[in-house]
Amino acid sequence: MASISEMYDVGWEEMRDKLRKWREDNCRNSEQIVDVGEELISEHASKLGDDIWIIYEQVMIAALDCSRDDLALTCLQELRKQFPDSHRVKRLSGMRLEALERYDEANKHYDAILQDDPTNTAARKRKISILKAQGKSTEAIRELNEYLEQFVGDQEAWHELSELYINEHDYGKAAFCLEELMMTNPHNHLYCEQYAEVKYTQGGLENLELSRKYFAQALRLNNRNMRALFGLYMSASHIAASPKVSAKVKKDNVKYAAWAATQINRAYKVKLSIWTATKSSLLHLFSKMD
Amino acid sequence: MAEPELLLDSNIRLWVVLPIVFITFLVGVIRHYVSILLQSDKKLTLEQVSDSQVLIRSRILRENGKYIPKQSYLMRKFYFNNQEDGFFKKTKRKVVPPSPMTDPSMLTDIMKGNVTNVLPMILIGGWINWTFSGFVTTKVPFPLTLRFKPMLQQGIELLSLDASWVSSASWYFLNVFGLRSMYSLILGQDNGADQPRIMQEQMSGAAMAMPADTNKAFKAEWEALELTDHQWALETIIEHLHHLALKSEV
Repeated sequence: MASISEMYDVGWEEMRDKLRKWREDNCRNSEQIVDVGEELISEHASKLGDDIWIIYEQVMIAALDCSRDDLALTCLQELRKQFPDSHRVKRLSGMRLEALERYDEANKHYDAILQDDPTNTAARKRKISILKAQGKSTEAIRELNEYLEQFVGDQEAWHELSELYINEHDYGKAAFCLEELMMTNPHNHLYCEQYAEVKYTQGGLENLELSRKYFAQALRLNNRNMRALFGLYMSASHIAASPKVSAKVKKDNVKYAAWAATQINRAYKVKLSIWTATKSSLLHLFSKMD
Repeated sequence: MAEPELLLDSNIRLWVVLPIVFITFLVGVIRHYVSILLQSDKKLTLEQVSDSQVLIRSRILRENGKYIPKQSYLMRKFYFNNQEDGFFKKTKRKVVPPSPMTDPSMLTDIMKGNVTNVLPMILIGGWINWTFSGFVTTKVPFPLTLRFKPMLQQGIELLSLDASWVSSASWYFLNVFGLRSMYSLILGQDNGADQPRIMQEQMSGAAMAMPADTNKAFKAEWEALELTDHQWALETIIEHLHHLALKSEV
């Protein structure tokens, strides 16, 4: 099997830089990371210097994603040799136990970390994800609530909690979590849009109006957000169709819905034309090849 | 009337000005590494972390509260500021003001601060004054009044000499302050050699960054939150958006 460096004609520095970019962007393309990282570790370990430890960590987590236990174990052993007392490494060995579904042992690991350092957020979050993996969503929600009482600023946790609540159909509480996120990231159109969707799902005239406002906000922040456009159309038409609104509000909403519909049509037309152009050029290429 | 320019021996430049620069710089670098070695680990308790995050959340509520609906904003404000059981009213942290005498870790910190920063400066300043005495080193480019003479011309007893001509000790002090930017270039930000900044921090830090002062912080946050009001940014958003869209289509 050809190695990555032969297939793509890249040197080890480019592979290392690619890994760094993936690390910084928090990409979860585990198979690619495993391929690139494995080669980097086995062939070019000595040239990497101190970078190798963080690459071990990155590759190990990716290997757990791809069920490559052998690779994960090697990385973990190297890290353990180098940093015997580190909490970070302990967390990684806990994650490996989780991947092997040995949840009780993993829990013991995390409890040991927490005893040593009560402020360690990573261990707490892993415990909560164990509960989630075991399917115990109510307990996971409870633990996550307790965690958030202590660490109110953890945005990842708020987002996770909102997802858990949506799965439990508790839309009011999910909306609360999303509000926290919207406050801390006022310019992120995705949170606005998710919040609007939750409000739309809750139903009722007030919530529909709120959702319409937030879909509009999401569009203002990013005018190419198709979901927000669709959401605007749906919520506006629902408000217009509702029997409780005044005639003026009805008229306004019909206007908004119509505008949203034209925008959607226009966007699809553009996409369609791009698609047909691509299709015709590809056909042209194929016909030339024959 | 034109002032007669003094012509200094170029040996002064070679053997006085440059060595003082080097000495100051090297001492600064050494101080930086010594401070790293002597640094003690600061362990934060869970409560401190939690409190700091709560304060941040309350501040964000004040600043960005206008992006969430009025109901939610009021709900959160109520949670924080309610008369009987609002968070800021209810939570009283045990305040142990860390006085320098009783708290051993603070004491050692202060001692270390003194040893690494103030002491070398005094010693080296004195040594330079003693070694390089008896002549003027350089001229500052702006005119100074006569009051500065005894300060800046330590070893030279000439009444008629312009106050702009300074001795080597003042050149040393100039260096200490001037090389700060060099340190941040070479050692990175937040380095241990940046002495004037450390002195500044020590003076202002002792006044404000007392870790056990969360009660005061809570009270301040409570007042600020009481004063803020909810101005919903999304009041007229759909009309605004529609208007913009129509404008761009025309």
